[in-house]
Amino acid sequence: MIRALTTRRAETVPLLLLAPALITMLFVVALPLVFSLWTSLTPYQLTKPQTLYTFVGLRNYIRILSDPAFWIPFGRTVLFLTIALNLEFAIGLGIALLINKITWGQRSLRTIMMFPMMFSPILVGFQFKFIFNDNIGILNNALQSLGLSDQAIPWLVDAKLAMFSLLFAEIWMSTSVFAILLLAGLFAMPRDPLEAAKVDGCNAFQVFRHITLPFLMPFAYIAMTIRSLDVARAYDIVKVMTGGGPAGRTELLWTLIARTGYDNSKMGLANAMAFVSTLLSILFTYYFYRKLITARRFMGGVQ
Amino acid sequence: MSALVESRASKRAKAVALWLATFLLMAVICLPGLWVVLSAFRLNREILAKPPVWVPEVLTLLNFGKIFGWGEQQIGIPVGAYFTNSLIIALTSTFIALAIGMAGGYAFARYRFRGKAALFLGLMLFRAVPGIALSLPLFMMWSKLGLINTKAGLIIVYVSLNVPFTIWLIDGFFRQIPLALSEAAQVDGCTRWQAFWKIEFPLARSGIASAGVFAFLTSWNEFALASQLTRSTASKTLPVGLLDFTAQFTIDWAGMCALAVIIIIPALILTFIVQKHLIAGLTFGGVKG
Amino acid sequence: MADITLEKVVKKYGALGVVHSIDLNIAHQEFVVLVGPSGCGKSTTLRMIAGLEDITGGIVRIGGRVVNDLPPRKRNISMVFQNYALYPHMNVRDNLGFGLKIAGQSPAVVAERVAEAADILGLSALLDRTPAELSGGQRQRVAMGRAIVRHPDAFLFDEPLSNLDAKLRGQMRAEIKKLHQRVKTTVVYVTHDQVEAMTLADRIVVMRDGHIEQTGTPMEVFNHPHNTFVATFIGSPPMNLLPGVIAGGAVQLADGSVVPVPVRAKAAEGQPVMLGIRPDDISPVGHGLSQDGPGAELALNVDLAEPLGMESLIYTRIAGQEVQAKLYGPRIVLPGEALTFRLALDRAHLFDAASGKTLEVR
Repeated sequence: MIRALTTRRAETVPLLLLAPALITMLFVVALPLVFSLWTSLTPYQLTKPQTLYTFVGLRNYIRILSDPAFWIPFGRTVLFLTIALNLEFAIGLGIALLINKITWGQRSLRTIMMFPMMFSPILVGFQFKFIFNDNIGILNNALQSLGLSDQAIPWLVDAKLAMFSLLFAEIWMSTSVFAILLLAGLFAMPRDPLEAAKVDGCNAFQVFRHITLPFLMPFAYIAMTIRSLDVARAYDIVKVMTGGGPAGRTELLWTLIARTGYDNSKMGLANAMAFVSTLLSILFTYYFYRKLITARRFMGGVQ
Repeated sequence: MSALVESRASKRAKAVALWLATFLLMAVICLPGLWVVLSAFRLNREILAKPPVWVPEVLTLLNFGKIFGWGEQQIGIPVGAYFTNSLIIALTSTFIALAIGMAGGYAFARYRFRGKAALFLGLMLFRAVPGIALSLPLFMMWSKLGLINTKAGLIIVYVSLNVPFTIWLIDGFFRQIPLALSEAAQVDGCTRWQAFWKIEFPLARSGIASAGVFAFLTSWNEFALASQLTRSTASKTLPVGLLDFTAQFTIDWAGMCALAVIIIIPALILTFIVQKHLIAGLTFGGVKG
Repeated sequence: MADITLEKVVKKYGALGVVHSIDLNIAHQEFVVLVGPSGCGKSTTLRMIAGLEDITGGIVRIGGRVVNDLPPRKRNISMVFQNYALYPHMNVRDNLGFGLKIAGQSPAVVAERVAEAADILGLSALLDRTPAELSGGQRQRVAMGRAIVRHPDAFLFDEPLSNLDAKLRGQMRAEIKKLHQRVKTTVVYVTHDQVEAMTLADRIVVMRDGHIEQTGTPMEVFNHPHNTFVATFIGSPPMNLLPGVIAGGAVQLADGSVVPVPVRAKAAEGQPVMLGIRPDDISPVGHGLSQDGPGAELALNVDLAEPLGMESLIYTRIAGQEVQAKLYGPRIVLPGEALTFRLALDRAHLFDAASGKTLEVR
């Protein structure tokens, strides 16, 4: 380093460089979060502005936690997340293994695989809204033309089918993240333990299960950690595909929060719900982070 | 002899299975997008026709013109205004985020100071706040500050959305440049500032460009915050426009598809460019002796 | 006049001291090598001279003026970095001319000086290439070229040869020496390789743990080391050190065998000492460098012999301790052979066992 880094005078340079970033984040993120916390402790409604200054303690939180109208979307969200992550992992793994085996045109295949990542959630939602439309969507048209069905299947209206459609869209969009990370893992894997296992008598499946898979787990956990932070992205897709309906059948946490806050003007309650939901995503992230650390520890001997 | 024939047959079967799986994969990935793109060039009467028309009889650019307000058919969504808004907001927030990100990234890459690790972690954690969660207090704050429905209001928010990731990326890119290069430039007669602009910045240029592309795409595609902080053509962006469109004109699918195509095209082009830049930035050979 | 003086120079990182008050005078046009094991502070010292590290204490002068608070660009020095630090996005010509352009020199002057440097270093054909298209040795020369175009008061080299393979290292060493003869400028050169130090230096500065152990010409440091550290650091294979005690006016080794005190060494009766003798100075009788002068003879068994052509490196034991000796000549030595070895006492050294300091009287 050019100038001594430990004198007080020299420390001002990096801090000056970071000042704009810090100011921005404090003003646009930290401050609103504090404000949000305050709001969650009030009965604030947009239509009654004076309620912003009433302090009611944890009333909102208690109300939320004892209201089934909250727990149902909560449960639906957890279910949605769990299924999505597991399927994205499994399918991503399959895709990674597949691409790993292909030698001709592998580069183009990897590029194509990244396509879904370039679509914003809104576009993905719209795309599948178009495809799953019961009247003119290509899926129903195809099924009817092929004679596999004689009536319009309500992909976006029936409770279970709608959840399926949302899952399909979400998985379509995000499996690439897993596939890319797992592919990177496959490329980085040392060959020696594989060959040793084959010499030791393992068949292909055993090699995969005992050698390949444990090595890939840290990569999988990285992907899961990242994805669980993106829980909120479920908002964009749901909003455009079903709007949380019909009749709240596909209401997930974040569409519920948005409706409570913006449509029903109950800001205090909405902010409280937001904190509870953020806690959920942090817990998920932390859970996967712990698993990542544990898995990484075993890999020390490999590399 | 038969074992050999057997294994050759099974090898062929495996290859076929592999190709089938790959084909299926490509189909699932590409078809949905392609269908939307195709539909953007078709007429509504074909899309809505029953029984469904598979092979398009007519291909037209009418839809694109229509959503921009040209030609005889007009729709109530001012896509032209939304497009300009999206462009201005995305470009401005990217430019500012890059400037802030370069300063911050350089600080993390080149300096040691107290609380550095904690600060870094803190910055990254900010990104973990979900957009909707942030939109609630921001909506209230921005109302009080008069920033609702202004381009500036959205630009400020997008800058903060992009700063953490931009700093992280640019920090990584500056770390790849040996400090000895800056020192050599200083021994050669440069001030630290000159050494940065003449040596370190040119070498990190492609990395900074890709950070810029990521920031642009984030702003271009963002929906949750935009939907709440905008009210009219003064500031509404394309993603919000798409939702409005689907909510209002539920049978003009061709128009909606055209709008979707407009949104995706910059994203596709930029992502393609970033790929090449990322590879180019990693192959500077003459840096180390 | 570009002499460099260091006066009580100290370097600390917080509470951690890296260089502890060193004094050094480097004369105009002298080639001084700072040598020592890694972590001894030699690179830090060099970087303080360059201005790339703050000086915690003491004074550094270049050409008579105090440079402590001057940034590198104001000190009129050039530096060749360990990894060359060539600007990868510029071709060789621009790399060479960069410093001059920054200084605002006219394009004519820049072109002239660049051509001059390229000519001296044999780079004229490579001017349009980028660093990525050059070999290791070529990059080294561009780094040196970049240093000489600015006609600085001093060249600073920071372990420039450590990234080259052995053969290239030998070639480049000679080139650096030739360069110094041609472009007579003060050089401060840092290395951990004592061979480089011995072959290149007008004067060697041996450093350890932030202190200067000894300065002197290569032959001075080789023939008259001030302490056991310098004695074993300079010279390859390293000097043998045998512990003993002064008894009856002679050196008594661990197993009781007695060796006369080396010439010109003085020690007190009963003083614990270390007898130092280089492998070159222990040889089987008749196969050594010199056969006359004061010597002592010992009958030893050969443990192992490594033939090197016209000489062999012999591993044997004196007083139970493994010792290396040299045999000059084409004779083959077999393990287990018993030979009479002659120790050249006029070339042996005596050190105080406790402090490591030499007991030589000059």
